[in-house]
Amino acid sequence: MMRIRLRNLTHSYRKTRVLDRLNIDFISGSANVVIGPNGAGKTTLLRLIDLLEKPSAGELYFDGVAVSGLDESQRMVLRRRIGFVFQAPLLFRGTVRRNAAYGLKLRRRALCRERIEEAMEQVGLRSKMDQDAMSLSGGEKQRLQLARVMLLDPELYLLDEPTANLDPLSARRIEETILRLLQAGKTVILTTHNLIQARRVGDRFYFLGDGRLLQEGTALDIFHFPSSLGIAEFSSAENIIYGDIRNIAGSRCLVAEGQMIQTLADAPLGPAAGIIRPEDILISKGLLTSSARNSIAGTIRSIERLGILFAVGVRCGKLPLTSFITPNSLEALDLKTGDRVYLTFKATAIHILPMES
Amino acid sequence: MDYFLSGLRTAVHLLLPPNRELLQIVWLSLAVSGGATLLASGAGIPLGVALASREFRGRRVVIGMINAALAVPAVLIGLLVYILVNRRGILGPMGMLFTPYAMILAQALLAFPLVTALTLAALKGTAREARELALSLGASPRQASFAVIRQGRFAFLTALIAGFSRVIGETGMTLMVGGNIKGATRVMTTAISLETMKGNFETGLALGIILLAVAVVLNVVLQPFQGK
Repeated sequence: MMRIRLRNLTHSYRKTRVLDRLNIDFISGSANVVIGPNGAGKTTLLRLIDLLEKPSAGELYFDGVAVSGLDESQRMVLRRRIGFVFQAPLLFRGTVRRNAAYGLKLRRRALCRERIEEAMEQVGLRSKMDQDAMSLSGGEKQRLQLARVMLLDPELYLLDEPTANLDPLSARRIEETILRLLQAGKTVILTTHNLIQARRVGDRFYFLGDGRLLQEGTALDIFHFPSSLGIAEFSSAENIIYGDIRNIAGSRCLVAEGQMIQTLADAPLGPAAGIIRPEDILISKGLLTSSARNSIAGTIRSIERLGILFAVGVRCGKLPLTSFITPNSLEALDLKTGDRVYLTFKATAIHILPMES
Repeated sequence: MDYFLSGLRTAVHLLLPPNRELLQIVWLSLAVSGGATLLASGAGIPLGVALASREFRGRRVVIGMINAALAVPAVLIGLLVYILVNRRGILGPMGMLFTPYAMILAQALLAFPLVTALTLAALKGTAREARELALSLGASPRQASFAVIRQGRFAFLTALIAGFSRVIGETGMTLMVGGNIKGATRVMTTAISLETMKGNFETGLALGIILLAVAVVLNVVLQPFQGK
């Protein structure tokens, strides 16, 4: 299995530094998801890994071998073990079939008609094989790109925003394909802005910002314990509360929008943001007596289905909070928009982040 | 209007059947300009591909020079070639002055920046993508260049036609280095110029019609190969 390590990997275009001293050990046989805002350097990172560009500084290791010492033909051999699916579908002029066969032809592998047809069948393009590739729809082009790479059976897949601009059904099909690749033991490095997708397929997450690795970890780490407010805001954490940490009547509180929320005693004083997982907020019709330190009254403003859960939006004075509950809870409590409810959560449920200047 | 009508009549008369001298003039025009276009494309298209698909030192300088060369008047190129090939010039011993070879050389120099610039303009954007796509699918650098050329084949034809059209219609420079010698270096444009000076407007018009016909036929025939 291919092991990829980055050591102080740095890249600049003219004078702009796009990647800044990245140190990453990608996990073989897993879905490595690189997330981050536009311009964070995600695409550049994939291009460096595919050896399409040479880094300005730092080193890239494949199975412990430093890439900078390789000559052009060794780079080609390495590149043949990697499949790159570009963000904007790149296709050659000509038919779908020609596009699908290109990589095999380069390797002088028998152009097995059946294999190509089977691959096209898998991505639903069998009937369009003799069409001009340029006439395909966006989703079809993207599937053709993926199938073309899969025919070459690389060990490592680099997928650059594979579902950007695709309708939900096409995106779903691509995700299923990614999951199949993982089951087959392939290593996948993919970039995305789509966090729901990232969580569905990802094993390990790398958050890039301004070319730097800001946080690395599991979904839980990144989405529930973001290391900075920037990451929390990007991952659109549901409940980000901006306020001040103060000492009120002997306990640490986050004061925001006229509400006082008790936090742990070690929260540093001053401006801060608190993040509460929506799963950690209880909804009740009456005030609960419990060990949880926070109970806030509010009015239900919205109820939305979110996969297998419901997201209930509640306005507590001026502070909006969201809670995730199961369909059963929703039914048992008979919640409707406009209902007065209490939101209850523990002081430990709040993750405090310092404000960024 | 009289000139025009009698010109047409003379043209028809000259063309049906065409006399030997006329055929020779047309043939030499096509041969000289065709040869010059091939020579210019042989250098200009690979240079255009390289400029469009690769990042290398001095790339911007070369692009700047090509663009500047587009503005150089033909007559200046004629002068340059004249200096090179006259008896005291560097290429003097080859005895090229007032031969079709000097004309081909001058016309090739004139078409070269145009062919290069058009190739570059047409491939900019697509060449780099095609190259990287090929590399990412496992192509060697050589196979990748071939993929770029295949991807841009329509653009090359457009550049070729533009180059040919530019040189076949050129007069002053061709006259300078060719000399408009009857039966040796007389081409359509220099013949038109001469016949007009002599007051033989009809003959000039007849040649003009042929020149126009060549341009139209060339473009119509190659239209389907140029893509959209």
